[in-house]
Amino acid sequence: MPDFSPTDCAVPLFVVAVLAEMIWAKLRAPEAYEPRDTLVSLAFGLGSTVAGALLGGFALWVFMAAYDYRLFDFGQEWWTVWWAWPLCFVLDDLAYYWVHRAGHRIRWMWASHVNHHSSQHYNLSTALRQSWTGAFTFGFVFTLPLVLLGFHPAMIAICGGFNLIYQFWIHTEAIKRMPAWFEAVMNTPSHHRVHHATNPRYLDKNYAGVFIVWDKLFGTFEPEVDDEPIRYGIVKQLGSFNLLWAVFHEWIGMIADIWRAPWKHKLSYLLREPGWSHDGSRETSDMIRKRWQERVRKAPLSTSMSVADRNPIAEASEAA
Amino acid sequence: MPSPLLLQFGGSLVAILALAGLARWLGLGGTPRLATAEDVRRIAGELVDGFACRRLSHDREGAAALVEDAAGRVMLIKRHGNRFAGRILGPEARARLQDGPGAAALVVDCGEPRFGKVILDLPDQVAWAQTINAIGEQRHA
Repeated sequence: MPDFSPTDCAVPLFVVAVLAEMIWAKLRAPEAYEPRDTLVSLAFGLGSTVAGALLGGFALWVFMAAYDYRLFDFGQEWWTVWWAWPLCFVLDDLAYYWVHRAGHRIRWMWASHVNHHSSQHYNLSTALRQSWTGAFTFGFVFTLPLVLLGFHPAMIAICGGFNLIYQFWIHTEAIKRMPAWFEAVMNTPSHHRVHHATNPRYLDKNYAGVFIVWDKLFGTFEPEVDDEPIRYGIVKQLGSFNLLWAVFHEWIGMIADIWRAPWKHKLSYLLREPGWSHDGSRETSDMIRKRWQERVRKAPLSTSMSVADRNPIAEASEAA
Repeated sequence: MPSPLLLQFGGSLVAILALAGLARWLGLGGTPRLATAEDVRRIAGELVDGFACRRLSHDREGAAALVEDAAGRVMLIKRHGNRFAGRILGPEARARLQDGPGAAALVVDCGEPRFGKVILDLPDQVAWAQTINAIGEQRHA
């Protein structure tokens, strides 16, 4: 059985690539990095490997138990079945699409995944901003069908590792567009910038890991618009570089909401989309987008203008 | 002899500190300023989509601002790294005037400890303090 972790092998590549992007930023876009933000993102990456080592055992145990009930058997030397590898990679990417989509649409899952989105920057260090608390969600359930089909958990883990490595390079503003044929099929920096954006038109779009075709197939694809500057992060920006707050803030918020909510709404705060509230006091991404669409319909000006720009009635009192 | 895992952790920690240090050494980041009313309007509209300022005031240093829309919502904006973050102020928000070495400054606490208190040097800070403190009073009335 192959004992191989693609992500461990890729760490030196990650470091060199971040170095190279920093030099690019120095020359072209110094604002693309912020040292404290970079430190938090990289600390997230380090912490996630520790959390994975400490807490990943349960999912592995479930996978190994489920493997005993597999539908197809690739034999004792399953790793020698060459065609199983690309098939596993594609199916794992499909599973990733759905677990990722659930990560944005179910608050319990979002409490963990929000970590990856909480930076207001979009650079290669953001790619390493991985969650510490994934083990407290049920994300592994989405990959369980692959185990039941007969793919060995180690094969899935290796394919998942390569999937993660692929997703590293797309976290950059240094690459504008790839060739059209590539943009059509693969996830790219352009597609993934959309995913990390807080602009209403982009919220909860482009969930793909490697193949953007899943978004096109399931109706969640949104292309990047060149004349609208992207704003990165989350709808309610953290406003803090405290690492532990960044890790746990959404868990704390969710548990507090569940605690305070009337009994009949408690489960909704766990399972409904982020931003949902029983009294309508908050906004979901769908509500934000709808409001934005209505506003743009009423004032169809340039999309690059902010709303504030479209309101010349504002009165200002500037500092002396 | 430290375990390989511990060595890997230690090596990674050194690497991330080195990278963050390099980002600082290269002078990446920068310090954006809310220098004009247009800057404030743009940032407010970005932080809370659709926020249209009816009244605004920005800090003399350009690091923070207060804005109010037609619905009476008041937003506190502060510089965070080389970006901006904001909070719509609720009933738990408090504002007070603080005497400093120079002129008095306005200290706004949005009630969220991790967001922190924001100190603003504004031309009309008494009026803003009254507006902010009235939010809680209206809610409790």
